[in-house]
Amino acid sequence: MNVANLLRPFTPMGVGWARAIVAVQVAAALALWSLSGCRTLPNPAQIGAAWLDLVRHQDLLAELWTSVKVSLLALALSTLAAVALACLSTAPLFMPLARLAAALRFLGFAGLTYVFMLVSGDAIVLRVAILAFGMTVFMATALLADLAALPRGRVDHCRTLGMQHWRITGELVLLGKADVILDLARQNAAIGWTLLTLVEGLTRSAGGIGALLLNQNRYFLLPGVFAIQATILAVGLAQDALLAWIKDLACPWGALDKESTST
Amino acid sequence: MIGAPAYRLGERLLTIDNVCVRYDRPILDGVNGHIDNIRREGLQQGQVVCLLGPSGIGKSQLFRCIAGLQRPHSGSVRLNGAGRDVQPGEVGVVAQDYPLFNHRSVWSNLMLAARRHGRDAHEAADACLALLKKFGLSDCGLRHPMMLSGGQRQRVAIAQQLLCSSHFLLMDEPFSGLDPLSKTAVCNTLIDVSTSHELNTLIVVTHDIESALRIADQLWLLGRQRDAHGEPVGGASIQETYDLAAMGLAWDPDIESRPQFVELAAALKARFATL
Repeated sequence: MNVANLLRPFTPMGVGWARAIVAVQVAAALALWSLSGCRTLPNPAQIGAAWLDLVRHQDLLAELWTSVKVSLLALALSTLAAVALACLSTAPLFMPLARLAAALRFLGFAGLTYVFMLVSGDAIVLRVAILAFGMTVFMATALLADLAALPRGRVDHCRTLGMQHWRITGELVLLGKADVILDLARQNAAIGWTLLTLVEGLTRSAGGIGALLLNQNRYFLLPGVFAIQATILAVGLAQDALLAWIKDLACPWGALDKESTST
Repeated sequence: MIGAPAYRLGERLLTIDNVCVRYDRPILDGVNGHIDNIRREGLQQGQVVCLLGPSGIGKSQLFRCIAGLQRPHSGSVRLNGAGRDVQPGEVGVVAQDYPLFNHRSVWSNLMLAARRHGRDAHEAADACLALLKKFGLSDCGLRHPMMLSGGQRQRVAIAQQLLCSSHFLLMDEPFSGLDPLSKTAVCNTLIDVSTSHELNTLIVVTHDIESALRIADQLWLLGRQRDAHGEPVGGASIQETYDLAAMGLAWDPDIESRPQFVELAAALKARFATL
């Protein structure tokens, strides 16, 4: 492959080349970071040392596990809630409810947290509830948009096969959109990690990696902050890869669909 | 003229009675038509009606009415002399994009349709296997629809609808965008379907006059009336029907070589401009 082609948009590239480009860029970034001498940002060695210190003395891994449990629970609940709203939206009576739920994405958590706090009464339940709410509204928005783009012919096709009402919803939404739902769950998982610090900051006493991050940030312990951010990034990417794998396993047609539309 | 193949008409299979559809303007205005069972000695001769008409004339609306997917604002579509309007699912529909469930394998798509008529799993599987074999798709059962070629996908879509409908199959533009060889293949498939059961009845919506003449025993021309100035008025209705069976132009594999074919195709093209 001509190196000049790397600058040309949409140039097909082999896997070997793609890996080489990533390796070179990562190495260059790390070298620049280590040798830059910038005093504002901690260097990789300082971050590594801080990470070890957090693991040994501040139970980083236990706090991480606390957060992972909250994140996974909220992800499951929000996915169920968003899919339920999407299914209900196929009936005219429930469409306003689904649209209202999607519209709530514009709300901030201020004020809402107080209501959730009164209702839940438990720190973990509060975290799960707020996270699930935050994720549900975004997932419902995306799912409703996807359903709105469903051609009428798909519904007609179901009807020609003798399906009716909720059976059509089951076929087209639950089964037909399973790949979309799993893709949205991946996005939701990422949203969940970004909201986690905010949510755990409400109840720091219950622990969690977000609370730990806020504590480090409060005392300007930047190596610790970056170490925790790197941990969250690594866990988030691993979770994303796992969900992608589950999606490919459960919905192999999703990849076929992309191949056929990409040509 | 070559002698017309002997046939007689049997019971009425489909009746379209004064179908009207209107929205902000009349779309269909008094569409009438019927299809009778064609009987030929020693053959399983199904029926093929081609519906021709210019774009935007209301073919899709009539298509949906015949399929039971839309209730006409007045009039009715009835099957087999039934006293009620056609219901969704009684008429198989193969839309232009050959709809299949992409999340199901070919086998699962067919089984879903085959289980409709109270067949148990064993009977349904037998019916699916028979159709896969008939359409040359025996090795496609485990594939997903996205992995099929256009022709294979069309055949699976036809098979799916045949499994769940009661001998009626509506097809929307099955020749659209095909090269001549592919058109011949589709024509052969449709002739094959129509001759695989005495009651199989195909209604094909198309712009392709030559292909229509190759497969049809009846042509219906859908169009609008014209006023004294030649402007179209009102909604569309069947302006003319051609009984190709009576004209001796049906069921002839070499029809394209006959002068009558060429003459009729030219006449239809000229007529098209006035629909």
